[in-house]
Amino acid sequence: MSGSARSVAVFVRAHREGWERLSTLAERAQRSRLPLAEVGELDRLYRRAAADLALVRARFPGTDAEGYLSQLVAKAYRALYRPRARAAALARLVRDRIPAATRRHPGALLLAALVLLAGLGGGALAVAIDPAAAELLVPLPAREAMAAGRTWTGQLLSAAPGVTGAALLHNNVTAAALAFGLGLSAGIGTALLLLLNGLLIGSVLAYAAQHGMLADLLGFVAAHGPLEISALLLAAQAGFVMAGALVEPGEWPRRAALQAAGREVAPLLALVVPALIVAALIEAAVSPARTIPVEARASLGLALLGAFWGWLFSGGRSRSGTS
Amino acid sequence: MDERPTLELLTPERVAVTLELSGIGARALAWLADALCIFLLSVTGLLVYSISGDLLRDLEALSLAGQLLTAVSVLLAGWGWDVVWELLGEGQTPGKRLAGIRVVKADGGPPGLSESLLRNVLRAMELPLGYAPAILSVALGSRRQRLGDLVAGTLVVRQRRYDLSRYDRPAEAAARRFPQLRGRARPALAAEGFERLSEFLRRRPDLEGKARSRVAAVLAKTLAVRAGVVTPEEADAEAFLEAFAAWYAEGA
Repeated sequence: MSGSARSVAVFVRAHREGWERLSTLAERAQRSRLPLAEVGELDRLYRRAAADLALVRARFPGTDAEGYLSQLVAKAYRALYRPRARAAALARLVRDRIPAATRRHPGALLLAALVLLAGLGGGALAVAIDPAAAELLVPLPAREAMAAGRTWTGQLLSAAPGVTGAALLHNNVTAAALAFGLGLSAGIGTALLLLLNGLLIGSVLAYAAQHGMLADLLGFVAAHGPLEISALLLAAQAGFVMAGALVEPGEWPRRAALQAAGREVAPLLALVVPALIVAALIEAAVSPARTIPVEARASLGLALLGAFWGWLFSGGRSRSGTS
Repeated sequence: MDERPTLELLTPERVAVTLELSGIGARALAWLADALCIFLLSVTGLLVYSISGDLLRDLEALSLAGQLLTAVSVLLAGWGWDVVWELLGEGQTPGKRLAGIRVVKADGGPPGLSESLLRNVLRAMELPLGYAPAILSVALGSRRQRLGDLVAGTLVVRQRRYDLSRYDRPAEAAARRFPQLRGRARPALAAEGFERLSEFLRRRPDLEGKARSRVAAVLAKTLAVRAGVVTPEEADAEAFLEAFAAWYAEGA
């Protein structure tokens, strides 16, 4: 090569055609599967562009040619090394990674359950001992409805069912996302959120019992409640795992420990959202339906609960044991 | 060169690639554009729903389908929008595409389901605070990462549009007027300097008359001294610069 005597313009003109061909191929590879011959061409052009980039970096640093080639090589790299077989990855996620993620951190899950239970017991106890506490703990609309003896189903049916379901879903997903994200407050926020939710549920249950509406309330939540709370617990578990990495990163830098924990619990998030979708659909469609007997609703709720935790604690065991 | 923060990565072939990280402006633009898309979709959805809602409520079977559709679409609009687009669009939502930015992993690859879920679910922490933590950490952090980026290990890089036509073979007419530059233009200028010169030539129609001729005169004088030729008349400065760029691009 005649080396340094050549200008950047001559260099670009000599190679531009191959670069543009590589760009086209990379774009097509992102959209569809390339024929074998073109994959070979993509690979060859990618290597050549990478060599061109190394040369341009050394000889023409700071030029547009360098910027262009950097982006081109990164693009071709994405096309060549992108994960294939999305369906297989999804199957592995469902079969192995989600159950493995929840089983690897039983302590975090137990902690989440205990905090929620503590809130629940505290709320119920407070209202049982001092009915005035209900004014503080039970939301006003719920108190008014129960004092007037109105049923939950009647209230919910007055709105369009789809809209109700969507609003419920949005609230639940937000709560779950916060339970996870607040893990970054060393878990304090997650614990508070669980405690407050527990207080609310416990006090409402106790208040309903005092007004003779416990059966009505339980009948309403039987179908969707168990799954909803399970999803919240799972999100909180993920939050506590992140908190653990933050508080006690071990031999790693905090940032690396946090990223590793994030990667570990991400499969849980992939489960929480669909679980909440199912719960919200049931809450909007099944729970308020008077035609469905309470027994059927309760068995649906219990079946979902059993399937959810049964799968988490037994699925994918054979594989995760070896890895 | 300039001090813009960059992502340095090494491909498996051990070629170093430098990608420029996106600043707060482009990211805010992308967010706004996505928010607008979601808003318009929601309005359309509500319109369709309010027109067909009564029908759906009458027919029990259709009602359930309507609920499913509504619930999932609200979820997609509010929460799943970014996740779905980042997976399908190789790290780009429509808003990010418009703003010319892209989400990448630390190795330059596109984000997967885990990364995308993590970085977007953690928005729940920033939205109630008016995105203030995100704005601060993107504006001040050395790697321009939000909380979600930090946990997911992702970065947002700029996608510039480069115009390689400045390197095209130049018109001969421009070069011919100043033949004394043959063999002198190339050694007098580094590659970066050529780009500055061609940048001036490209953008000069936008410059105000006086400023334009002043910059041209200064550039022409500097380059003439470097190349060791006589400084051209001020009226000829731009023609001289064109010729200079042409001889340089010619490789001589």
